[in-house]
Amino acid sequence: MAHLFSLTDEQQEISNVAKKFAATEIAPHALEWDQARHLPLNVIRSTARLGMGGIYVREDLGGSELDRLGGVLIFEGLATGCPVISAYLSVHNMVAWIIDTFGNESQRKAYLPRLCSMESMGAYALTEPGSGSDAGALSTKAVRDGDTYVLSGVKQFISGAGVPGTTYIVMARTADTGSRGISAFLVEDGAAGLSFGAPEKKMGWHAQPTRQLILEDVRIPMQNLIGEEGQGFKIAMGALDGGRLNIAACSLGGASAALEKTLRYVTDRHAFGKRLADFQALQFRLADMATELEIARTFLWRAAASLSERSSDATVLCAMAKRFVTDVGFHVANDALQLHGGYGYLLEYGIEKIVRDLRVHQILEGTNEIMRLIVSRSLIEGLK
Amino acid sequence: MGLRILSVIRQVLDAEESVRIKDGMVDPSSSKLVLDTMDEYGLEEALRIRDAQPETEVVALAVGPARCEEALRTALAIGADRAILVETFEPLDVITVGNVAAQVARKEQSDLIFCGGQEADWDSQAFGAAIAEYLNWPQLTWTTALNLEGRTLTGTHDIDEGTESFSVELPAVITTQQGLCEPRYPTLPNIMKARKKELRRESFESFGLHSRLKFIRSEIQVKERMRRIVDGKDGSAAAQQLVEFLRNETRVIG
Ligand SMILES: Cc1cc2nc3c(=O)[nH]c(=O)nc-3n(C[C@H](O)[C@H](O)[C@H](O)COP(=O)(O)OP(=O)(O)OC[C@H]3O[C@@H](n4cnc5c(N)ncnc54)[C@H](O)[C@@H]3O)c2cc1C
Repeated sequence: MAHLFSLTDEQQEISNVAKKFAATEIAPHALEWDQARHLPLNVIRSTARLGMGGIYVREDLGGSELDRLGGVLIFEGLATGCPVISAYLSVHNMVAWIIDTFGNESQRKAYLPRLCSMESMGAYALTEPGSGSDAGALSTKAVRDGDTYVLSGVKQFISGAGVPGTTYIVMARTADTGSRGISAFLVEDGAAGLSFGAPEKKMGWHAQPTRQLILEDVRIPMQNLIGEEGQGFKIAMGALDGGRLNIAACSLGGASAALEKTLRYVTDRHAFGKRLADFQALQFRLADMATELEIARTFLWRAAASLSERSSDATVLCAMAKRFVTDVGFHVANDALQLHGGYGYLLEYGIEKIVRDLRVHQILEGTNEIMRLIVSRSLIEGLK
Repeated sequence: MGLRILSVIRQVLDAEESVRIKDGMVDPSSSKLVLDTMDEYGLEEALRIRDAQPETEVVALAVGPARCEEALRTALAIGADRAILVETFEPLDVITVGNVAAQVARKEQSDLIFCGGQEADWDSQAFGAAIAEYLNWPQLTWTTALNLEGRTLTGTHDIDEGTESFSVELPAVITTQQGLCEPRYPTLPNIMKARKKELRRESFESFGLHSRLKFIRSEIQVKERMRRIVDGKDGSAAAQQLVEFLRNETRVIG
């Protein structure tokens, strides 16, 4: 538990690089990308040169082989420029992690170099129109036919779906045995029968597309099964532990940026003959915002350390962190908007975008209600 | 035997930080310090030479307090092979630091020295010149393009009405400026490796120098804003009003 209370020089440097990249390459364009509904693939791909295409992937195939704390520092840092870009990269890394962890050597060799270089981006397809929180009830089918599988069904809300050259990990049913009958498959862009719904019109997250992934008798080689039949749900949930840390880190980065903008604003703006920063009510509000973010950050680091160490309570800590940090992040961003007055409501100030973007972090990667379910289940089962 | 390049770097306040003064001196103890971006261009050029000629060795040098180690670690993470920190708590003037750098270059048998054409804090623009003078080497200043063929370095820099081109046989001192190149970011694997690279500490005293220039005091200029907003609806009336402000209230114009 070495990293609980201070960062090593390396971790500090990792955080610095992510923040610097965010400040120079992302933040200046974030509003423009939001407005244009534009996913800046060239900027995203340029993070591969920094080693962000395979943050957790082993070094033999071009990964950076960092631990989970390294990861959350990167995603918090990038999110100070734009949480949406950071979150897109998080999903990509989740896919690379799945292949590195559960894939066999030939799958690793076939996919990881391309994912680490970001020649191919990764997307994760679990949710369906009829099954979100209750993911174990999914109905997309994968039927074995000779040395192939044939996939059919619809995946809903898939981040990054339709981005050319994307590698999809699709969870599909190979047996009618509930969550134990689910398997994970690699599906490549361009597969016959694979198509996409129209980009969803959303409250935020404009800089990345969310679309349906439609599978109409998509035939893939048997070798595209990750792990064994029936392991899919375990793989999907395992990936979400890390995904939850990262989405929490995205909230933290976005909210920190909002707080920073607010600090500048209240020291500049005057009302009733003094600076906003001179009103004690607002000072206390700022103190609370900073305190809550720091608590969130500290706990997120602890959860990250537990996942790196694969401690037995890691899943519960990741769920607690996801729930707490994304809630705090949203409230801090919303307070930042309030402290900006009417200007906070204007696009130009960059605050309302953060509020819009962070709102969905309370919903995706497992809703915050589902996080409470995970935590309470562990409490109650612990009594037995 | 490949080229030996010395990249002299400095640690300065992050551009976003505000300057704090304590006991008449700039006090960076609670501020975020970074590798001077002005020095990143030279480091990048050095690394590009090494990319093309892998037997090249790039050494980063800093002169200053122990905390400069952070900036050197950044340089190592960006790609320098090893680092030297000449430690001193004394605030040194640019000529003295130039002397130290020259002595290190001699000891290291450097062929080429890079440093920023200016510094984010001092802005003396004399650093490269001082090093070149102590070594009696030629210097190319404010370069905007560089190309090395064998031991011949050609380069350009901007002058008021155009550009000048140079060529020089190594050894030489090169100063850089923004726009020379696009400095790379440290990569994550390199950050993890930076810790294992050599960072040698030397004491400033061992150089037998003392700064003849003494810092006495720093103070921060206080800027007061007038907080007057000119209503811009009627352009010419606004211009009129602005001229009046500038003339009568601020006396910026006569
Ligand atoms: C922008 C965006 C991007 C997304 N990206 C992806 C992606 O890349 N891949 C992917 O697979 N999915 C993705 N999702 C889907 C996301 O994970 C789901 O929306 C989420 O899991 C919730 O599922 P649902 O929308 O079906 O809501 P439902 O499951 O229908 O839930 C509705 C409400 O009921 C609550 N609820 C449900 N069950 C319980 C319970 N047992 N106890 C208490 N409350 C409960 C929920 O918390 C929620 O408030 C994305 C979603 C969005 C909006």
